Amino acid sequence: MFQYFDLNKIKLLLVYDKTDPLVFTSSMFLFAFFALLFLYRVLYKSKPARIYLLISFSIFFYYKASGIYFLFLFVISFVNYFMGKWIGGAQSRKVRLALFLLSLLLNIGLLIYFKYTNFFIQIINVVRGSQIAPLDIFLPLGISFIIFKALSYVIEIYLENIEPVNSIRDFTFFIFYFPTLQMGPIERASNFLPQVEADNPISKEMIGTALFLIMSGLLKKVVIADYIGINFVDRVFDSPLRFTGVENLMAAYAYALQLYTDFSGYTDMALGVSLFLGYRLTDNFNAPFKALSIADFWRRWHITLSSWCLDYIFKPLQMKFRGMNIFGNALALFITFLVIGIWHGANWTFIVFGAIHGTYLATSIFTKKLRQNFYKKTGLTNSRIVKFLQWFFTFNLVVFTTIFFRASNMTMAFYVIKQIFTFFHAEVFMQFVLGYKLIFGLIVLGYLVHFIPENWKVKTQELIVKTPLIGKAVMLAFVIWLVIQFRFADLQPFLYFQF
Amino acid sequence: MISERLKEIVLQELALVDLDLQDETTADMVPGWDSLSHIQIIVAIEKNYKIKFKGIEILKIKNIGELQRLIDKKLTTVSAG
Repeated sequence: MFQYFDLNKIKLLLVYDKTDPLVFTSSMFLFAFFALLFLYRVLYKSKPARIYLLISFSIFFYYKASGIYFLFLFVISFVNYFMGKWIGGAQSRKVRLALFLLSLLLNIGLLIYFKYTNFFIQIINVVRGSQIAPLDIFLPLGISFIIFKALSYVIEIYLENIEPVNSIRDFTFFIFYFPTLQMGPIERASNFLPQVEADNPISKEMIGTALFLIMSGLLKKVVIADYIGINFVDRVFDSPLRFTGVENLMAAYAYALQLYTDFSGYTDMALGVSLFLGYRLTDNFNAPFKALSIADFWRRWHITLSSWCLDYIFKPLQMKFRGMNIFGNALALFITFLVIGIWHGANWTFIVFGAIHGTYLATSIFTKKLRQNFYKKTGLTNSRIVKFLQWFFTFNLVVFTTIFFRASNMTMAFYVIKQIFTFFHAEVFMQFVLGYKLIFGLIVLGYLVHFIPENWKVKTQELIVKTPLIGKAVMLAFVIWLVIQFRFADLQPFLYFQF
Repeated sequence: MISERLKEIVLQELALVDLDLQDETTADMVPGWDSLSHIQIIVAIEKNYKIKFKGIEILKIKNIGELQRLIDKKLTTVSAG
């Protein structure tokens, strides 16, 4: 009886369940990952065995979240492996170009089908007044990340920056590699595949760094992002009109922090998990809220996506429009950021998010000379006050766009902005601070940690690397304990303020 | 070898006084040579040499040496044609 029950329970843990994917912060992932690490150690001496082990685990990881759609990974791998091979081997320029366009069509076609079909149906319905029913299309896990990763491989071969890889096993490994499946980083083949070939041993330094990253990722994701999300940001963004401008503004600042700690926390964990297996992935964030301009922000925010779009969308467009001088640059930037917006999801809010960033950047091109001349004339170039103002405006301009990023639709976004500008009620601020002490404290703490100097972080990391094993275990246990406290904490009570 | 003519164009477009340009020099090693000024330099080269690049030719270039060789190649095909 007991045996039967247990077996069934284990089976449930291993089969596809849409509501229970293997996310890094789940306890199931922790167990599965420990089991994987154990097997990995056992098989470590044989490189093929260990790579096949990781490929199998990655398929399991994907299957847990997307069921039968794990086959999608095989399709992407095979299509791009052979396309890359054929593009690299093609003798005539025309054949090369034709093959290249075909692989763009296949990859982007798949992405559009899975992600945007229903969005287009919606638009057609609005434009033509028709009532076409939306299709029942499943969205495979991390599809936008995986397709962009695969695309960079064929593009780099077409641009002759890399040679096609000879081993279909290694290429499959590159596409399937589970730490990058859910939310990137959008790794370039030129960073990952040489590591697979070189096969560097896992050093003590890598393990220490991995632990540091996993701890920092857990804290960012569970203690800050999830907690302020559930207890504060979601409530305001679900019904902005029930709150004053102060609360809406605080929710906007809190959401910008939530978005950053969620995504960079996830990325830290992905990088950490990968280091345990011996592979260094590309970091996606470099203290983005320290940026002094919008362009600077995009060099620090979701770096693997922004550099992808810079190299493969902006630069070709810029070449195309070069006859238009400065307007060409502005137009290329605007289109690039529209694509970045749409890439995030099939919703007008994301398109507007991209369009606003595109407009910011285009404006900054047109006003660059004006601003430089002004600073020169007033002798303010590189002065502290200018730097502070640049930071202040950049930060608030970014936060403004994250309102659209978070809002479930455009109406909600307008409500948030409307409350901030027409129903502010500054007197509520102190009530807010006192009523939401923990939330407010976490927001302040989150931003403070973000703004501490970079070398402090490096020193902390070095310290953890040097800590003896037992010390590391204690630290990890403490972090896990803290994470559990926050994960299972009661919801904060709802508060209504008087004004 | 990077010609004086190419160097002159780069200096002028980036408003620099002098610069050590080797074959292996890449854009990110030159102050001010970012993705926006990159295209100004390309356009200035096209005007100065009276040549026309294809988009893909420019995207493939990895350093100044390759840019110089591309210009040289364009010039020989222009004079030969």
